[in-house]
Amino acid sequence: MFKYEKKLQYPVNITKKDLKMAKYLSAQYGGPDSELSASLQYMNQRYSMPDEKGKALLTDIATEELGHLEMIATMIYQLTKDATIEDFKNAGMGGNFTIHDGTFFLNDPNGVPFTTAYISTTGDHITDLESDMAAEQRARATYEHLMDLTNDPDVLGPLDFLRQREIVHYQRFKELRNYYLENQIK
Amino acid sequence: MYEYDYRNNLDYYNYTNNNYNKPMYTKDENPKSLYDPYNGFIRGNMFPNLYNSYKLSKPRDITPNNEKEALLLFVDSIGFAAHDISLYLDIYSDDKDMIDLFNQYRTEANKLMDEYQSKYGPLVINSDATNKIPWSWDDRPWPWEN
Repeated sequence: MFKYEKKLQYPVNITKKDLKMAKYLSAQYGGPDSELSASLQYMNQRYSMPDEKGKALLTDIATEELGHLEMIATMIYQLTKDATIEDFKNAGMGGNFTIHDGTFFLNDPNGVPFTTAYISTTGDHITDLESDMAAEQRARATYEHLMDLTNDPDVLGPLDFLRQREIVHYQRFKELRNYYLENQIK
Repeated sequence: MYEYDYRNNLDYYNYTNNNYNKPMYTKDENPKSLYDPYNGFIRGNMFPNLYNSYKLSKPRDITPNNEKEALLLFVDSIGFAAHDISLYLDIYSDDKDMIDLFNQYRTEANKLMDEYQSKYGPLVINSDATNKIPWSWDDRPWPWEN
């Protein structure tokens, strides 16, 4: 089961309102390569991992991704705090306001809602791990695009941290995949 | 015209993809080569040979504004160190030195977590800090509030 820790994995303290950036960040909240996609994909794949290493690694990384989802939500929350209707309109978020008021939802920056069609599980552990490696790479690339879109150090710090976690996770998935191949674990 | 001959170029490990890192399975990680918890934490990565930066010339330092934030930074960074090592250990389960290091950080993180919760209220629902009237689990701030 799961137990909540009432703190973030890495601190987020954003003081400058920026609705456009909040909108872009929704890519990692409800977009195709979001933290939610990653968490659900790994959590769903762990049942067909062939040994204890795989079950452990997928469980642990899926859990961490939920913590990242909370960090992204926190960033969006703080970037949109005290926003006016004019702010929403000016940031191209009038549609968001119409449907969700001042709060946010699991969709990508273009308003496309989250779907489990974003994730995959084949039951073939090598295929699944390679899919996980690709998911980490795509998320890393998305974090780089997000870092390109801001110069606020309070936003860049957490993004830099999250980007780096994709690199570590990618490495661990790759090591596990190579271990399975080299030891012919089926 | 795209001139890169991918079939004859075996040097693709030196391709400057930002995610370039160790290409093959290896269990030669040396615990002594890891970052200290603070430097690992601000990088989001305890392993110097996996680290690469993007856009920022150096990782952002975290400056606590008060005693509470300073203690939380300890809790966060040492807990992070233990966590990042635990992912490594999921794969390299017989690395004794790394298990020792994990336990060193785990013990320290638990101690700091207890200290933080006794001073500033519960972070986990099974903490002794919940034994208080009125009920303190729902006290501010929630993690997204600043």
